[in-house]
Amino acid sequence: MPIADKYFPDEPKAPHMITPCPGPASKAKLAELSTAFDTKAAFFIADFYNSLGNYICDADGNLLLDAYCQISSIALGYNNPELLKAAQTKEMATALVNRPALACFPSSDYYEILKEGLLSVAPEGLDRVCTAHTGSDANEMAFKACLMYQATKKRAGKPFTQLELDSVMKNETPGASDMVILSFTNGFHGRLFGSLSTTHSKPIHKLDIPAFPWPTAPFPTVKYPLEDHVEENKAEDERCLKELDHVLSTFPHQIAAAIIEPVQSEGGDNHASATFFQGVRELTKKHGVLLIVDEVQCGGGGSGKMWLHQHYGIRPDLMTFSKKMQNAGFFYHDPLLAGDRPYRQFNTWCGDPSKALIAKAIIHEIKENDLLKGVNETAEYLYGKLEEIREKYSKLVLNLRGKGRGFFIAFDMPSAEIRDKFLWGCRQKGLNLGGCGDVGVRLRPGLTFGKKHVDILVGVVESELSEMSNH
Amino acid sequence: MSTYAEKYFPEEPSGPKVVTETIPGPKGKAAIKSLSEVFDTRCTFFITDYSKSIGNYIVDADGNVLLDAYCQVASIGMGYNNPNLIKVAKSDKMVRAIVDRPALGNFAGVDYEEMQRDVIKYAPKGQKYVWNGLSGADANELALKAVFFNYQSTKRGFDNPFTPEEEVSVMQNLPPGNPELAVLSFTRAFHGRLFATASLTRSKPLHKMDMPAFHWPTAEFPGYKYPLEGNEEVNKKEDERCLALVEDRFKNWGSPIAAVIVEPIQSEGGDNHADAAFFQGLRDITLKYGAKLIIDEVQTGCGGTGIMWDHERYNITPPPDLVTFSKKMQSSGYFFHDPKLVPNLPYRQFNTWCGDPKNILMSGAIMKEINEKDLLPALRETGLYFYSKLEELQKEFPGFIRNLRGKGKGCFMAFDVPSPEKRAEFLAKMRINGVNLGDCGEVGVRLRPGLVFGKKHVDIFIPIARKVIASL
Repeated sequence: MPIADKYFPDEPKAPHMITPCPGPASKAKLAELSTAFDTKAAFFIADFYNSLGNYICDADGNLLLDAYCQISSIALGYNNPELLKAAQTKEMATALVNRPALACFPSSDYYEILKEGLLSVAPEGLDRVCTAHTGSDANEMAFKACLMYQATKKRAGKPFTQLELDSVMKNETPGASDMVILSFTNGFHGRLFGSLSTTHSKPIHKLDIPAFPWPTAPFPTVKYPLEDHVEENKAEDERCLKELDHVLSTFPHQIAAAIIEPVQSEGGDNHASATFFQGVRELTKKHGVLLIVDEVQCGGGGSGKMWLHQHYGIRPDLMTFSKKMQNAGFFYHDPLLAGDRPYRQFNTWCGDPSKALIAKAIIHEIKENDLLKGVNETAEYLYGKLEEIREKYSKLVLNLRGKGRGFFIAFDMPSAEIRDKFLWGCRQKGLNLGGCGDVGVRLRPGLTFGKKHVDILVGVVESELSEMSNH
Repeated sequence: MSTYAEKYFPEEPSGPKVVTETIPGPKGKAAIKSLSEVFDTRCTFFITDYSKSIGNYIVDADGNVLLDAYCQVASIGMGYNNPNLIKVAKSDKMVRAIVDRPALGNFAGVDYEEMQRDVIKYAPKGQKYVWNGLSGADANELALKAVFFNYQSTKRGFDNPFTPEEEVSVMQNLPPGNPELAVLSFTRAFHGRLFATASLTRSKPLHKMDMPAFHWPTAEFPGYKYPLEGNEEVNKKEDERCLALVEDRFKNWGSPIAAVIVEPIQSEGGDNHADAAFFQGLRDITLKYGAKLIIDEVQTGCGGTGIMWDHERYNITPPPDLVTFSKKMQSSGYFFHDPKLVPNLPYRQFNTWCGDPKNILMSGAIMKEINEKDLLPALRETGLYFYSKLEELQKEFPGFIRNLRGKGKGCFMAFDVPSPEKRAEFLAKMRINGVNLGDCGEVGVRLRPGLVFGKKHVDIFIPIARKVIASL
């Protein structure tokens, strides 16, 4: 039985559109809300009470099939009955009203929650976890871990010098570090000041914010279809790796770590080959640079593996997560990455047990129901259908990509205007989709998306493309 | 009339109970050992059994019952297992907020506005809007971003487009797209530990060491002489000296200063207080130089000092531009009132979650409870009583308790002890005698009980402190 049938026997059979989306009720509520909260990015007002499974309900009662899922952060559908149970346990209520300062006063069940939850799906070799609050937070804490690690190694057991102690209070070197974090062109790692300095997706993400002068290396620009561009793509991998080697060899400041997404999501769903990722791993190792894999968007099972980088057979030094896990943080192995002394990697909450509990419940469901197998099967079917569509609408659907990467599928359209029109059109027909990069359309359904949902998605996409090409 | 604690925590213990020779005891130690295999436990005081903790008492894994005057680094305001909050935790709204966590900027839920208005209702005087974060550091960094967006768009013309030079340079992390702007913070300040906030934080080297930092200015935070009575002239001069330094930075710093950020009471940095003249002086200087004033109420806010927002006691006029919050609120973010602190375009101040309805719901419930149950007048009374008792202790042990401070600010009090070593010994002995306490700054002991701490808890605290100090 498809998992959606098991979880959601009452799931709608199809989208149901009563009004345009956003309709009058959404618009009225948005107008009101905008007097208290910035609503310029709002798609519509959602009615989560009446959303179910793969369908999101809006304030007008429209039911949309959701292949965007709160920007890739809802893993198991809306109002998943197993998660509702987890949210109603005594453990959850206790976690909610007694939120601890986890590093100082961890709860007696925190070890068990981590062991049975997050750590049970930690990537091979990374057996410790540092919990955080958001994807940006997780990445920045990973940067801190790497910067402290490299400085501690350099210090070789000596205490901080007086000069370090004095200069750091003035934000000057040597106490304040001149080490850097390397990232890749088109990468997205968050929007706080450290993470934003490694984000290179779009100007609008970065403008007007002071930044650290940190280096980038090129991320490959892959040509599609892959089978027709084998040589060119190989040459592109080599060019990018050579450039990375050059930056790692010549950058005037020590590079503490490199951070990379297994698929650059916000930056346009840019994929790269296993060869490229293996090359990045080898080069960072060769130059004594730590490797952080950012699985904030890719992780949590959407790719058909728990973590997308597992498709490439590499082992990073740190791996960050958030979104679908609901809990944010990073996995690591080397205890020195926790800092050479306490209170260096520290803050009040250091995570949130209520999030660790929900992560545990999500992970339990993924394992219990073999959801990744379902994702791979459904995704293969979905990719096949989209290939047919690409052939039929070859002027509108470009660079279809993500084969063999579960639901991590995207395609480009000829321009941003056409893409935006397409997304809006699909929404009017009852399919909620998101964009990425300048001209990309990304599919980010939950792990409960089945073949019957694929058929509906494909039907809407095809009908919208057909209308667009007739105009 | 019964106190809040008596009414809502009828099963609260009548005093601490320590059953092991050490804290943590054998069970706690074993639990720390296994947890340390997967999670850094070097800061762990003890493992806590939250299901057994109640009201002002925290219970550890060995069954030790401690009076808690630290409360999760000042973040539990309403006591452990507050029955009125448990109701909220079990509500349908909360359950949905947990399982259907939205990307609030894109798909706010039908019940979101009400939740948000329940928080804005108790916003500091003069503030109208809120933007949510997920931690105190996050809240402060989001506030900085709002300020920088505003600074540059004021320069550019609020709705004018970006220049091609800006759009190209920004992808290389260079000006003019990434401008060289600064924010001024104060010596001994603590605003968080992410990259921009760590650049503002000046509490201890350990909080910042080995992190790349922005080259941003500081000015000195006043260092008052205590007792305040009798030192009025000296302290007034100190205000003037510090304000002159702030003005000097505005005149002479190499890059424009877009904002000043300040805590009403510098907490991590040693519980350093300042007065109305100082804060009004900051307001006047920021207005004069076209900079924003950010008040960081992460630790002081949500009633901890006997009023909802500590800076309100200074009647800063016009009100500060942004006020950040977290901790006791359980939700994080910043309040503001100028609509131009919202960027002209969408997706500038943006992230996946933009807050968390679970926290916002809890926040509204906490503030409603504080107001409906009149917790703050009671807390102010408890604070004065507590202060007078500590004053007596100070007189008894003038060599040990110094610079007692925080009079009239609820239970947000602190004192200094002769050395960091003495302090460590004092805190450890307090704990084994049944009181959980925290430190701050170099030699400070800070009292951070919840808002439900009453006179009877003071009467338990004081004799234990007296016994411990006498033994030192």
